[in-house]
Amino acid sequence: MPSIRRLCAIFFRVSNFTFGGGNPTTAALQRELVEKEKWLSEQDFALCYALARVTPGTNLFAFCTAAACRMLDWRAALIVLTVASAPACFITWAVTAGFDQVSANVWVAAGIAGALASSAGVLVASFWLLVRPALTPGNRLRATVIVGISIVLSMLANLSPIPVLLISGVAGWFWKEREA
Amino acid sequence: MIRFITLYLLLLKATLTSFSGLAGLPVLRDDLVIHHHMLTDRELNQAVAIGRITPGPKGSYVMSVGYYAGGVAGGFAAWLALVTPAILIIPMLSFAGRYTKDPRVKRTLRAVVLASAGISLSATLPLGADALHSPLSWALAAISLGLLVFTKLDTTLVVLGSSLISLAAFAAGLG
Repeated sequence: MPSIRRLCAIFFRVSNFTFGGGNPTTAALQRELVEKEKWLSEQDFALCYALARVTPGTNLFAFCTAAACRMLDWRAALIVLTVASAPACFITWAVTAGFDQVSANVWVAAGIAGALASSAGVLVASFWLLVRPALTPGNRLRATVIVGISIVLSMLANLSPIPVLLISGVAGWFWKEREA
Repeated sequence: MIRFITLYLLLLKATLTSFSGLAGLPVLRDDLVIHHHMLTDRELNQAVAIGRITPGPKGSYVMSVGYYAGGVAGGFAAWLALVTPAILIIPMLSFAGRYTKDPRVKRTLRAVVLASAGISLSATLPLGADALHSPLSWALAAISLGLLVFTKLDTTLVVLGSSLISLAAFAAGLG
């Protein structure tokens, strides 16, 4: 079991300083909590991630709360929620207060351009890191079909995430996996 | 105080009716710009732009909205509105956690994770079109991808390194 201090250190670093939105941040947290530290099992990660996607509001904050609750308890969850959200929100508030100066500074723009370019790579990597564990022998077709249909529904049919997740959830319920 | 509570409730309404990124934007515009005149369209656009260039979730643009609508207190109301819905997951987790041993629940959860990955990949394209506009930016994206897939290097360090390379290229007149 992690200590609350170590947990807060990871959530503080990853949640507040990763660019590109909630998805790359969640993938970075998966690397830290599931792959490196092994504090959260693959199954618990899937539970927290799936529930966070259907919780209203910011999915990332819901995920942080759920993961901390699963690893420790609800008190730790509330502390982690604060640690994972307050600094990034303060940065946003500070940037807003000085937006005209910040947006006109070419050095800041160059730094942000690099971070955003990297975030495009982080997003593709996060996709692969989420899909890779499901690509076990005998289940590749299932995983590929579910991912493919979700891409088609969200990109081409412009369906919002919730119905896409519901459809895939129903498919997952009925389409059995083969034991590895 | 009444303005603070009103702003918190209006922002909470937007966050509670949104399930991803900028989905609460129409609700915010309707409430804060059209009905309550706490915000202008220009400020709302700037808030979205700020949400893109700051770390953390895209939904953090609500912080900028709060600041524009109510100053420092508005920023605090926005933070509260952002974190309040996340607390809902604690009872949900307690309920759903009882069924995770069921094989059908397990495979349903795995399917939802796969679909989320697909949805995220779809969202990559607009970000890519916006961020990848030069050979250097393509190279930074490709290197970041390789480092994250094939090494255990920390994501924050990868993004920070990319930012520093971009700054160095700008200083050398290459950016």
